[in-house]
Amino acid sequence: MKRPADFAYWLDELPPPGVVFLSALQHVGLICSLIAIPLAVAREAGLAPDQTVNLVAVSMLVLGITTILQTLQRGPIGSGLLAPSSFSGAYLAPSLMAAKLGGLPLVFGMTILGGLFEAALSRGLRYLRPFLPPEIAGFVVVLVGVGVGGLGVRYVLGVGMPEPASHRELGVAMLTLGVMVGLNVWGRGMPRLFCALIGMLCGYVVALGLGVLGEDDFARVMAAPGFRLPQVGDLGWSFDGALVFPFVIGAVAACLKTVGDLTICQRINDADWARPELRGISRGTLANAIGTSLAGVVGTTGLATSTSSIGLAGATGVTSRRVGHATGAILILLAFLPQFSELLSIMPRALMGAALMFVAAFIFVSGLQIIASRLLDVRRTFVIGLSFISAIAVDISPEYFKTLPAVLQPLVSSSMVTGMVMAILLNLVFRIGTRQVQRLEIGADGVDPRALGEFMDACGASWGARRDVIERAKFNLQQSIETLAGSGLADGPLLAEASFDEFTLSIRVSYAGVPLELPERRPSDDEIMESDEGERRLAGFMLRKFADRVAATHRNGRSIVSFQFIH
Amino acid sequence: MQLEEQSYGSVAVICVIGRLDNATAPTLGEHLSKALDTSQGLLLELSRLEYISSAGFRVLLVAAKRARQSGAQVVLAGLSGQVRQLFEVGGFLKLFRVCDTREDGLSALR
Repeated sequence: MKRPADFAYWLDELPPPGVVFLSALQHVGLICSLIAIPLAVAREAGLAPDQTVNLVAVSMLVLGITTILQTLQRGPIGSGLLAPSSFSGAYLAPSLMAAKLGGLPLVFGMTILGGLFEAALSRGLRYLRPFLPPEIAGFVVVLVGVGVGGLGVRYVLGVGMPEPASHRELGVAMLTLGVMVGLNVWGRGMPRLFCALIGMLCGYVVALGLGVLGEDDFARVMAAPGFRLPQVGDLGWSFDGALVFPFVIGAVAACLKTVGDLTICQRINDADWARPELRGISRGTLANAIGTSLAGVVGTTGLATSTSSIGLAGATGVTSRRVGHATGAILILLAFLPQFSELLSIMPRALMGAALMFVAAFIFVSGLQIIASRLLDVRRTFVIGLSFISAIAVDISPEYFKTLPAVLQPLVSSSMVTGMVMAILLNLVFRIGTRQVQRLEIGADGVDPRALGEFMDACGASWGARRDVIERAKFNLQQSIETLAGSGLADGPLLAEASFDEFTLSIRVSYAGVPLELPERRPSDDEIMESDEGERRLAGFMLRKFADRVAATHRNGRSIVSFQFIH
Repeated sequence: MQLEEQSYGSVAVICVIGRLDNATAPTLGEHLSKALDTSQGLLLELSRLEYISSAGFRVLLVAAKRARQSGAQVVLAGLSGQVRQLFEVGGFLKLFRVCDTREDGLSALR
C-alpha cells in the first residue's frame, strides 16, 4: 500500500487527540442515522418504549465492538481499515418478516444464523466470484436501496399504518429530508459532513413544535437515569426454518455490500491501488459476520460496513485506525447512557422515514455505479433487467404471489430475495454458450484498428469484465498487431485469442515470424527517433509496462506474444 | 485522424482528433514540421486523442527535438485517461510542458 499524498492522517499515523475525537464524533453521527433500521423492526414488532430504549443501547454496544474488530490487523479477523459498522438494509426485509411471524426473539435468533452464514461466505469469497459477479453485487445494492427507500416512503406517508400521515407529520418529514439534502448539496465544511445529524435534530425540534412529539416524550428522556447497563439478550431468541432462506439471502446481500465497501476503502487508502486485496476483504467480512451474530445475541438487527463513513474518511483524508478505536469507544460509551438511547427511541415515524429515504438515495446510486463499472452485453442486460422486473413485481402485486404454492413462498417472500435469486439463476443460465476464449484472425497486412477495439469491447461485454482492464487489453492488442504487421515481424496472418476466467484476462497473439522484443528498459529518445528498431523497442517496452505479465516465445518458426491482466 | 489547426500570433495550435498510429503519424509529422517552420510556439491539444502508439510518440519526439534546435516551445494540453497514462508509462510527460487545458497552454506560450 502507498500513502495517498493528499491524506492528512493515514492508517498507522496518530492524529492529535482533538482530531481523533472530532473525526470519531462525525462517524458516530453518520452511524446513528441508520439506527432507524432496528427501530423500524422494533416498531413493526410493537416493542414497548422501555424495551426500545434498551434495543438502542445494545445496538450502540455491538456497533462499537464491531467497529474496533474491523480495525484489527493480525489474525483472521479485521480488514485493518477504518470502516465503521452500521445497520444493514440487507437484513431489513427478512427482519420485518421475522418480526411479523414470531416477534423480536425470532428476529434476533435468525440474525445469529445470518451472521454465521456470512462467516462461511467470508471464507469462500474467491470461489463465489464467478457466481456473484460485480454487476449482481451492484444489483443487490440497488435492491437494498429500493427496500430501505420503500420503507421510508411507507413511514412518511403512513401507508399500511393504522392511520395515514397527518399534515404535521408530512411537514416534519419534508423538513427533515429538505435539511439533510440541502446541507449535503449546498452546505460546506462541518454542516455538510453532519447533514444527516443536523437534519434529524431539526426534525426533532419541529416535531416537538408541531405536536408530533409530545412533551411527555421529552420528559421521558430527561427522566432517564444518567447511567445504566444495557440488558443483553433480555428478549430471548427463537428460530424458524421457514425464515432460513430469506436470512441467507440477507446474509449474501450484506456480505456483498461489505465486500464492495472494503474494496472502496482499500482503493482510497492506496495511491497504487490496482485491484481488491481479497485476503484483507475476507478478514473484514468475517469481522462483520461476527458483528452480525453478536447483534443477534445482544438483541438487535444485522450489520454491514458504513458506506457513508468510508466516504467521509476518504473525503477528509483521515483514515487513521486510531479514529476507528475512538469511534468504537464512543459508541460503547453511549450504550451506557440511557438518555441518549431514549432520545433515539422516541424518534417519530415521519423523521425515521425521512432518514431512511435520505440513506436509500445513496445506497441506490452506489449500486448503479457498481453495475456501470462493468461492460454489459445482452445476456447481462437480461440478467439485471429481468431480475429487477421480477423483484418489483413482488412489490407491485403481492396478492398474486401469496397464491403460489407454499414451497415457492420463500422465493417470493420479498423483492430482494426474488430479485437476487433470479439474478443468480439467470447468470448461471446465460453462462451457457458464453465462450471463455474468443478468437480473431488478422491478415498479414494488418487490420482496421477499430475492429480490434470492437473485438475487445465485445469480449469484455460478454464476460462482464471491468472497463479499465478491457481498455488496457485493447491498447496491448492494437499496439502489438500494429507493430507485428506494420514492421514485417509477422510473415503471414496473425491469430489473436482473448480468454477470461474472472481473475485474469489473457491475450495471446500467434504468428509465423520473428518474436517481438519486450525490453525491460525504455530505449533512449535518440534510439526511438533514429531507427524503426528503436520505435519497435518502445512499443515492446510499453506493452510490457501496460500488462501485469508478458511473455514472448518462438518455436518451430512460430512466435507467440502473450499478455495477462489481473482482473 | 483529424487535425484542426489555428494560429494565435506566433503560436500555432494543432488539435489532434482520433487515432495516432503508424498509418496517421506521418501526416501529423508533416503538419508539426510546417507549424514549427513558421511559429515560435506550438500547442498540441490532445483532449480528443483516442489512441496513440509508439509511432505517434516517435513523431512527437522528433517535433520536440526540432523545436529545441530552433528555440521554439512545444506544449501539450488536454491529456487525460488512458492517453495520459500512456505518456506516463512511456516516460514522455517529462519531455514536454503539460497543461491541463488549451487556455492554460496558450497562456504558457505567450
